[in-house]
Amino acid sequence: MSVTPESYVALSAVLFFIGVVGVIARRNPLIMLMSIELLFNSANLALVTYARAWANNAGHIFAFLVITVAAAEAAIGLAIVAVTFRRTPFVDVDEASALKG
Amino acid sequence: MLFNFISPEFALVLVWLLPFVGGVLLWGFGPQLKSWAGPIGSALIGVPFIATVGLWNDATAPAALHVHLVTWLPGWSFGLQLDRLSLIWSLIITGVGFLIHVYSIGYMDGDKAFARFFAYMNFFVFAMMTLVLSDNVIGLLVGWGLVGLASYFLIGFWFEKPSAVSAARKAFVMNVVGDVGIMFAVFVIVQRIGSIGYADIFTHFATAFTPHALFLVCLGLFIGCAAKSAQVPLHTWLPDAMEGPTPVSALIHAATMVTAGVYLIARFAPLWSASPDAQQLVGVIGALTAISGAVLGCAQWDIKRILAYSTMSQIGYMIMGVGVGAYQAGVFHFLTHAFFKAQLFLAAGIVIHALANEQDVRRMGGMRMQLPFAFVAILTGVLAICGVPGFSGFFSKDAVVYGALETGHPWLYAVGVITAGITAYYMFRLLFVTFFGPYRGDVDPSDLGIRHPELAGTAPDSAGRAASSGHHPEEEEPHHHAPPWLMSGPVAILIVPTVLIGFLDWGGAGSRWQRFFGGFFPHAAENAAHVPPISETVSTALVFVVVLIGFAVAYWRYGTTAAQRDSVARLRTESIRMPAVLVNAYYFDAAFEALLVRPARAIGGWFDRFVDPHVIDAGVREAAFSAQWLGHLFRSFQTGLVRAYALTLALGAVCIVAYYAFAFTGGAR
Repeated sequence: MSVTPESYVALSAVLFFIGVVGVIARRNPLIMLMSIELLFNSANLALVTYARAWANNAGHIFAFLVITVAAAEAAIGLAIVAVTFRRTPFVDVDEASALKG
Repeated sequence: MLFNFISPEFALVLVWLLPFVGGVLLWGFGPQLKSWAGPIGSALIGVPFIATVGLWNDATAPAALHVHLVTWLPGWSFGLQLDRLSLIWSLIITGVGFLIHVYSIGYMDGDKAFARFFAYMNFFVFAMMTLVLSDNVIGLLVGWGLVGLASYFLIGFWFEKPSAVSAARKAFVMNVVGDVGIMFAVFVIVQRIGSIGYADIFTHFATAFTPHALFLVCLGLFIGCAAKSAQVPLHTWLPDAMEGPTPVSALIHAATMVTAGVYLIARFAPLWSASPDAQQLVGVIGALTAISGAVLGCAQWDIKRILAYSTMSQIGYMIMGVGVGAYQAGVFHFLTHAFFKAQLFLAAGIVIHALANEQDVRRMGGMRMQLPFAFVAILTGVLAICGVPGFSGFFSKDAVVYGALETGHPWLYAVGVITAGITAYYMFRLLFVTFFGPYRGDVDPSDLGIRHPELAGTAPDSAGRAASSGHHPEEEEPHHHAPPWLMSGPVAILIVPTVLIGFLDWGGAGSRWQRFFGGFFPHAAENAAHVPPISETVSTALVFVVVLIGFAVAYWRYGTTAAQRDSVARLRTESIRMPAVLVNAYYFDAAFEALLVRPARAIGGWFDRFVDPHVIDAGVREAAFSAQWLGHLFRSFQTGLVRAYALTLALGAVCIVAYYAFAFTGGAR
């Protein structure tokens, strides 16, 4: 059986859903960051799939951009978590609610 | 041509500007000039008078004297012009003005604001000259407004007195009503004719105006006249204006400013002659003012107020004269009135001055012996104003009254004749009560029927005098002294024209006066159609008989030996029995209060209680509250829970996906 674009898109949707649930349901900041990575990469998968299916390189180029953004996000996200953790040790993101309006 | 060294144009500009220079100089350097302020102020009026006399030939030349000053836009050129009409007015303003300035040096002597007084007086003369010398309607309007301002300054000259301040404010407000009327007339003129110059207006108005527009222009101008010249119903400020110093009353509120309305109508004579409706209106209002002012004059006890109401009545005559189209007669009455009324006021000022600012005639009496000069002066003035043959008022009043008949207004004629009788009554009443009988200044005021002695001018020993009517706040001790020559001199000079000026009109159609204005004013078209039922001689005799009746009544009530002997009791009875409608001047003030002041106050109060707190303040308040409420709303989104933000994001993503899913599947169908 051949692997059709639909399969890739379906995989991308599954990964995206797992990522969303990870971000919303888990409270550990590190797990949340990992889930965000899942989101990025599911999006990348979808982009590359469509690019190939429609023979348009824009999708590939956009995937590279997303990878760069993801790298920056991971760096900043980890830095924020490290700095916040140094001030008040926590394992639950709900405890870090100093910005409540 | 009197001046060989300066051009007439330059001389005219000097005539116009010298009083202004005087005003600025005296205002700016009053404390330094001290008692020099009076002579300087007088000189800066006297020099323009001489210059105006010197310009006589230029002004009476066929082309008149014209100076172009500045052109702002096409049709908007400003300049000065001295023609026959302006000449008469300029001579009176500067001539009588000069005499009154000299008089004021004596009258205002010792006042702490001596220089300020002369600064205002010079400023007034400048404003008045602007009014009469302007060759365009805008200059006229500016002069008109400045005159009102000068009047405000001078009525409120003794601003320590609350009554003077409120009188000044009243005069100013009433005058501004008139300014607005003229302003509307100017708007219509500019819109229809496109030029502000008199010459352009008189050339083009016949084609540019419909009869309706012409009537509106005349009406606007007449509202100005009515306010400035104290015509019913805008007259109520004039009696109150007597709060000012007596020379001010003489110059502004008798001789010059209040006759500006007569000038305006005479200046716009072509417009009036073309609008019979406007003429009718002006004639009726003039006659109404003449008779109502005269009747009120019979009910006054304040010597200056009697003269004020007589001024109002005489201006009614003038307005009636120029209104019905008898322009020469109206202007002639202005000329004679300026002399005899200035003289009456100045002579009354001598009496007031000698009695330490007593103005109530009930507290005078017997002044004939103490002040023989003032008696002669007032007697001459009274004879002139009553129109006794030979005196100036006889000629002019006769001409005005007969002019009404000549132009076909028998009812106005009848009113004029009756008013002449009433005038004789109240003027001789003034004369008898003031100068005959015993001196009543030491009689208890309540025995004379004076209800509020503290308000009606009391014995000069009471302390709170500054607040009572008509006192110099500065002067404390009474002085029965003969007036210095500074005060009697101008009055003596004024007696000459008061008696003689009327003879200008001697000789009917060929008189000097008729020739002077021959062809200047438009002739009423229907002049020939109306053949007066009685000749001028019969009319003169009729007027004189009515005047005699007025005199006889006054003599019977105040002049007989018996009346003089128990004058105290008689005056008391008369004061008490005076009809309330006359004491309150027909309730005009009360009517204004009820119709205008109280509604205005009610509206103001309503705005204060409702609009201000519930609309304006509420608008600001509600804007602030809405911002606060929105802030609260958006604050609740900032939970501080990262996962909640993530959930929002996810929901947003779902929404976007859902939208595209529906949009595309919908588009495919």
